Amino acid sequence: MSSKTANPVMHSAAWRISLWATLAFAIGTMIAFAMLHRFVANDIQRRSDAWLSGEVEVLGDVAARTPKDRLYRRVVGEVAELASKEVPNKLLSDGNANDSVFFLQVGDDGALKLWVGAGDGAPNLAAIRESKVIPDVPYDLHVKGFNKPFRVVSLRTEDGSHIYLGLSEKDEMRVLKSLRVRFLLLWALIVLFGFAIVFYATRRMLGYVREITEAASRIGQSDLSTRVPTNKRNDEIGHLALTLNRMLDRIESSVHQLHTITDSLAHDLRSPLTAIRGKLEIALSSDVKVEQSEPIVSAIDELDRLTEFLNSSLDVAEAKADALKLSRTEVDLDQLVRSMIDLYEPCMSDKGLRVQMRSAGSVTVLADAALLHRVIANLLDNELKHLPTSCNVWINLGTSGNAATLTVEDDGPGFAPEIVSHMFEQRVKGIDSKGHGLGLAFVEAVVRAHGGSVTGSNRPEGGAQLSISWPRDQAQKVVTPHSFALVNR
Amino acid sequence: MPTAKQCIAWLEGENLEMTYHHSMRLLLVEDELEIQGFLKQSLSDAGYEVDSARDGKTALQFAAGKRYDVLVVDLGLPDQDGIDLILQLRRSGVSSPVLILSARRSVDDRVKGLEQGGDDYLTKPFALAELLARLRNLLRRNLVASKDATRLRVLDLELDFIKRRASRAGEVLNLSPQEFVLLEYLCRHAGRVVTRSMLLSEVWGMRIQPDTNVVDVHIYRLRGKVDTEGREPLIKTLRGIGYVLKDG
Repeated sequence: MSSKTANPVMHSAAWRISLWATLAFAIGTMIAFAMLHRFVANDIQRRSDAWLSGEVEVLGDVAARTPKDRLYRRVVGEVAELASKEVPNKLLSDGNANDSVFFLQVGDDGALKLWVGAGDGAPNLAAIRESKVIPDVPYDLHVKGFNKPFRVVSLRTEDGSHIYLGLSEKDEMRVLKSLRVRFLLLWALIVLFGFAIVFYATRRMLGYVREITEAASRIGQSDLSTRVPTNKRNDEIGHLALTLNRMLDRIESSVHQLHTITDSLAHDLRSPLTAIRGKLEIALSSDVKVEQSEPIVSAIDELDRLTEFLNSSLDVAEAKADALKLSRTEVDLDQLVRSMIDLYEPCMSDKGLRVQMRSAGSVTVLADAALLHRVIANLLDNELKHLPTSCNVWINLGTSGNAATLTVEDDGPGFAPEIVSHMFEQRVKGIDSKGHGLGLAFVEAVVRAHGGSVTGSNRPEGGAQLSISWPRDQAQKVVTPHSFALVNR
Repeated sequence: MPTAKQCIAWLEGENLEMTYHHSMRLLLVEDELEIQGFLKQSLSDAGYEVDSARDGKTALQFAAGKRYDVLVVDLGLPDQDGIDLILQLRRSGVSSPVLILSARRSVDDRVKGLEQGGDDYLTKPFALAELLARLRNLLRRNLVASKDATRLRVLDLELDFIKRRASRAGEVLNLSPQEFVLLEYLCRHAGRVVTRSMLLSEVWGMRIQPDTNVVDVHIYRLRGKVDTEGREPLIKTLRGIGYVLKDG
């Protein structure tokens, strides 16, 4: 893929498509994970709650059956410690079970009767007193000094005391946290990977579309014989390329047909014209008196005019049908127009015409130099033929945006009103004009074949104005070195 | 103004043989009998020894048997393309200049012709004078001053290429750079006819056919400076053909 289209990647369609596709994918997977997370969290909690309820019942049972003697504390305490070793979701590495489970018995007077766990149980008791206790249902308890809440279940014993069994939620949270971290890492990886795949795939596909576009635009500019690249796949883009190529086949064949027709027409007319001209010239060279030679000379003149008309007609016909064969080279309009003015100036000043050129300096365009010469010559011939003496001709050359602009203005009589609207059509000429009415048609056709445009009007202050806008496409340099060798041999 | 007869006479044999001391051999390859007929006649009248062929095969046979000084080849031959013929001739060792006649108009065909060994081309229909002038132009390698010379003299006209100055009978002419180039071209072709289209393509570098008298005005101006009152006029106009600068 060439870097000709200087679009940064961020502006490409592939980038946008991948971005949107990845966004949708990322949001979707995130929602799915959120639901999964919720389910896992609920399940873990359900398990710890089941454990808590079971254990608290055992402990209540033990507490109720154990005689309230000296040993009570030890028996119940040991049972509670045993229970704490079977904590669900517990990590093996975490040896200290004391801070994840606590057992607390409060007498009916509200005083701490028995405590098993880390610390002295005072903050836990305070927290329990502050919270609203729902008997037999596990609830969350925030204890001062612990940053993770405890899941607590309470049981009222027969002697009126309350048993509280608390299980820290830190293990549960750790499990969930590690689940989240792993998921997010994986998610980021998958999203990036997905983006890369989508981007690569669309870029490849669109790159192919761009190749087709570039090839098509090259074909539009010059060479009708090339074709857009096709791939073997039978997909939409493959069809696009095939359709374009079929269309080009048809265009090429009709252009070719036109060439054949004009070429054979030209050939069939030229051979007899050549023979006639030659014979006339030979007649002229044999011994004829001057009076007799006059009609021969004028016949030759007529023949030359006919030839010129034939040439311009065929040129205009070809140019109108976009069938001109352009051999483009870099041409400096400034230099070209100046040398053209050098050629025409003496003739113009002989007729009393003043010609002035205003130019901002070198303006390079890609054009068929020979055709460009003829375009400018046609414009100047036009001025020479239609201006009365002591008129001014102004030629302005400049650039606007990506186009070279050439204006030819004069202060003569201007275009005849009946032709202003369609002066670029073939055979359109003013009533007094002696030409064939092909000059401007040729100018317009050539400029259009190069991708430019011509407008003609009468200036408000009087006189005619013709503006040519010529595209300046610097990107593509087509070099045909021999087209200049021809004229500068 | 010279009569038509004089014009043609100017182009014809009398000074061709004088210049080359022997007659020039020319091979004409043209399939249209009408055209071949009058071309052969006027080329012979102009002092060439002409052989003519109607197709590529015959042309190759002729070229194998004889050495030609110049060839005139039509591009549309019945048995093969004129360009292919030129290629074949070049391969078989023919190095003489070739003038292409073509009924095709488009530039790329012409360029193709030039690239592949043709040396000049004319589009049909053409003026005989133009053909003769161009043929001499092709043969000029044996002629007149080499390009390297710093000075060129034609009668009492002298051109100094270093100072870009021209003088006549010792008197410096006040010429514009453009006029100097034009005069230089005329002097380098002194005694030979140069046509308007030759001037346009060689002096101005343009292949155009203006339907106004732009070239003539340049020549009139130049003549006004070169052929002043009381001097022998050097630049002659041949009506309908072109110009010639007298060299004797």
